[in-house]
Amino acid sequence: MKVLMKPIEMIAWFTKNKKPIPLRYRIVDENNMYRVIKVDRVLFVEEEKLAGNRMIVYRCESKINNLRRIYELKYEIDSCRWFLYKF
Amino acid sequence: MQNRIIFHIDVNSAYLSWEAVYRLQHGEKIDLRKIPSVVGGDERKRHGIVLAKSIPAKEYGIVTGESLYSARQKCPNLTIVPPNYERYLKASNSMLSLLNEYSPLIQRFSIDEVFMDCSHLEDNFLKIAYEIKERIKKELGFTVNIGISTNKLLAKMASDFKKPDKVHTLFPEEIEEKMWPLPVGKLFMIGVKTQKKLNNRGIYTIGQLAKLDREYIYAWLKKPGLLIWKYANGIENSEVKNTSYAVKSIGNSTTTSYDVDNKKEAYMFLLAISEMVGMRARDLNLSGRVVSVSLKDNDFFSYSHQKKLNTATNSTKTIYETSKKLFNEMWNKKPIRRFNITLSELSSNEFCQLSLLEDYDEKEEKLNRAIDKIRYKYGYNSIIRSCFLHSGIKPVIGGVMEEEYPMMSSII
Repeated sequence: MKVLMKPIEMIAWFTKNKKPIPLRYRIVDENNMYRVIKVDRVLFVEEEKLAGNRMIVYRCESKINNLRRIYELKYEIDSCRWFLYKF
Repeated sequence: MQNRIIFHIDVNSAYLSWEAVYRLQHGEKIDLRKIPSVVGGDERKRHGIVLAKSIPAKEYGIVTGESLYSARQKCPNLTIVPPNYERYLKASNSMLSLLNEYSPLIQRFSIDEVFMDCSHLEDNFLKIAYEIKERIKKELGFTVNIGISTNKLLAKMASDFKKPDKVHTLFPEEIEEKMWPLPVGKLFMIGVKTQKKLNNRGIYTIGQLAKLDREYIYAWLKKPGLLIWKYANGIENSEVKNTSYAVKSIGNSTTTSYDVDNKKEAYMFLLAISEMVGMRARDLNLSGRVVSVSLKDNDFFSYSHQKKLNTATNSTKTIYETSKKLFNEMWNKKPIRRFNITLSELSSNEFCQLSLLEDYDEKEEKLNRAIDKIRYKYGYNSIIRSCFLHSGIKPVIGGVMEEEYPMMSSII
């Protein structure tokens, strides 16, 4: 997996007591086209607070072009932004 | 007081490490700590000095505080990044909350330095020190040096030994071996000037200073001399204070982005700084009797003037009027690059002596309070004096940021 850290648009599910769960996101691909990707499975969730900046890291799995791909998403708590972290 | 164990935790090139970690977290591929890089102010605003440097930058001979121009001459491919104080405060706070898990007695000495009383750890202290160091590295992503001793001064000296990412001890029995061979300028509280004075009399190491006769140093350098002599001998027994210090003075300053050569603009800068000084004094519920103004001209020559008032004040207007008077008394018409106003001899507002000769203006006090409230709620620029309109000068000047920011202190 390569570090990308690309900002993405996200639909997430904010639960009562667990961390927010990513459901589906939209990304601009290399042809400048929007692509919607559904998060099929969250494999694990981890919180990091590097330099005091809290982020939640999700390792996820999705079907992209008929291939099962594993990648990582990041949610930055202070700025409420989502990123495609590693792909 | 017997057998205390004090930790001094010092972040290695703090601003730079925090900046590097933040950037790595946001997907940057280059670790600033591994290349010659510095955190520096904005040169266009003439704040262009090195605030922090990476270890590779240090190898080029770049020192903290020098101008970015000269730093770039020493190392042409230097990477310069702007500072972000909010980020650094966040990083510092996260370290503090981690340390709080180990001891309730923590003194924040500055944004990147912390004293911690760990006497309760008894013989375990070395293990815990390594644990803390590793946890900070793993969880927060930056490295620290930890100095351990029986008092704050020695702990601080120890954390400065070899960097980065190290734990050092400096117990009284180790002073002779570890601290005395160091150059005298390394001792806490000894700056360039004192170092020169000491060097002139043949004192080059901390050991030489420590072995001087107490009466001799007192006769020569008076009380400060005694203090550094005590430090050189490892004598210091202040407590780790949880609370911050009693404020002794309130001052703000600004380096202007261009040289100021006329009274009108100079007055505006003074007013903008007075606003900040007054607001801070009122916020702390303090008043001061001495107002001092210092100026730095375009040849970097500084001069100052101060005035003792009849009654203590925290009114923006009084501070401004007094600084204006002081300014007129001393200004030699040379263009100015830096203004500073300091309010000292502070006393609490709880009881205040009114003057028979001067009017006590209750209305003005209320007005100041109302303005402060508005500014705290809606920002400093929510309500401004009309003279600042379209002037290009900020109506309230001073401070690195809006939140309380722990600055370096000379009192241990």
